Amino acid sequence: MTLKEALNLSPEEQQSLKSELKAKIEASDLNAYIDSSDDGCGGVPIAIKDNISVKDWDVNCASNILKGYKSPYSATVIENLHRGGMSAFGRTNMDEFAMGSTTETSVFGKTLNPHDKNCVPGGSSGGSAAAVGGGLAVAALGSDTGGSIRQPAAFCGCVGMKPTYGRVSRYGLVAFSSSLDQIGPITQNVEDAAILYDAIAGHDSHDSTSANIEYKPTVIDSDRKMTVAVIENYLEEVDAPTRKAMEESIEALKSAGHTVVYKKMMGTKYDISTYYIVAPAEASANLSRFDGIRYGNRIEGDNLEELYLKTRTEGFGDEVKRRIMLGNFVLSSGYYDAYYIKAQKVRHLIKNEYEQIFNEADLILSPVTPSAAFEFGTINDPLEMYKSDMFTLSINLAGLPAISLPVGKDDRGMPIGAQFIAKHFDEQSLFDGASSLEKIINYKG
Amino acid sequence: MEIDIEKLEKLSNLKVQNKEEIAHQLQDILEYVENLGELDTDAIESTFSTLEGGTPVREDVPVHSGVAQDVLKQAPNAQDDYFIVPNIIE
Repeated sequence: MTLKEALNLSPEEQQSLKSELKAKIEASDLNAYIDSSDDGCGGVPIAIKDNISVKDWDVNCASNILKGYKSPYSATVIENLHRGGMSAFGRTNMDEFAMGSTTETSVFGKTLNPHDKNCVPGGSSGGSAAAVGGGLAVAALGSDTGGSIRQPAAFCGCVGMKPTYGRVSRYGLVAFSSSLDQIGPITQNVEDAAILYDAIAGHDSHDSTSANIEYKPTVIDSDRKMTVAVIENYLEEVDAPTRKAMEESIEALKSAGHTVVYKKMMGTKYDISTYYIVAPAEASANLSRFDGIRYGNRIEGDNLEELYLKTRTEGFGDEVKRRIMLGNFVLSSGYYDAYYIKAQKVRHLIKNEYEQIFNEADLILSPVTPSAAFEFGTINDPLEMYKSDMFTLSINLAGLPAISLPVGKDDRGMPIGAQFIAKHFDEQSLFDGASSLEKIINYKG
Repeated sequence: MEIDIEKLEKLSNLKVQNKEEIAHQLQDILEYVENLGELDTDAIESTFSTLEGGTPVREDVPVHSGVAQDVLKQAPNAQDDYFIVPNIIE
């Protein structure tokens, strides 16, 4: 059942939908959910990533350090769901503090890909994507700091959308990298993504980086003809099945009457470097609040210093520790200019490069990942894992909106995604283009 | 450049078990990001705002959010209006 269909159900039918989902969640071995918490409000159940606050629910960011912590208030997106006839139902698994690309760094154990349980679901919103892709949720919310909505959506055969920075309130989202984080929808199709996006978007005085600009609800026009830029050099960096799916998507867009132009970008290696300086730097500052005093777990010590050290040593997993240390390194005296300031400057270059392409095009089409979902244990080295995020990072660095949708399958039958990228606050074009491509590709058959 | 893992542990207020392995991984990452040196950024501003048009400002007016007690309730140890910590003055 789609979100659009579920919104038309009676309150009684929506209630029994919750019971059905609860039974399915309990019977499932995907480990997409941490629990099936219910906010008790009527409406269509929406699965919620474990870093979004729902009043009185546990919010753990899949970390030991936040075990036992309950949200004292609800995130703005949750209040917005309630106004839109939806409710929070089920807390989904994620990489610890949203740091990871496979959901393997969760303290609650790994989530499995619904299309092949030997494969990763992607991350960090792997639980939300596996829930939607595995038929365990009508729709879900995730968060995207460097691809954490779009990549798991691509791996699990769903639609995932990252709004323009500032479009959706971050109030009540546990901060990872504040200049990059956005909450967005993971859904079964493009229309549902627009419905859920419309429900959560808009200005919020509780978030000082929320954009105070006019917001018009989306009206999808899949017949609108647009100019789509394809990043030529990106097509050379993906495996054969992904390349084939990308080329079929390009042909589909042409056949639908869109104009395709080819562009080059300076290279994903600079995006990877910039991201893995900026994000850990911001994370090291954001995660300094977790010290055993105000939230969750505390490991007692003989004095305050020992309490901090023990709590953080036992509370954080290795990937989080690595990023905190990396962040502290790039911000430390003697290295700050060479790393952090350099990366901030390169963000301007990345943003300018996009702006130039958008002078000639309405949308950009790019791969989401270099390959479809890989098997557990394939990538163990942190740097290699970071490199696998190559196509999604620059969108967050520039603050742009993007949507990932399934466009094909590889020879193992694993879903392959493609993403559209639009100008700041032009989510309308994103949905128009994605809807047009979705119709022609007819992924679900 | 050599990573001083103990200094980073101190700055981060945490300890890692596998010091050598983590130092090696951080070293690899820092060597990789050196590629930014290939880009000429001399004439570029050193600050960046993700929000198009910059971050808005508001009047500095105090508001009562009413969640203070709810927040304190979630702390590992709190009493009245305070978080409780071990003695910090001998």
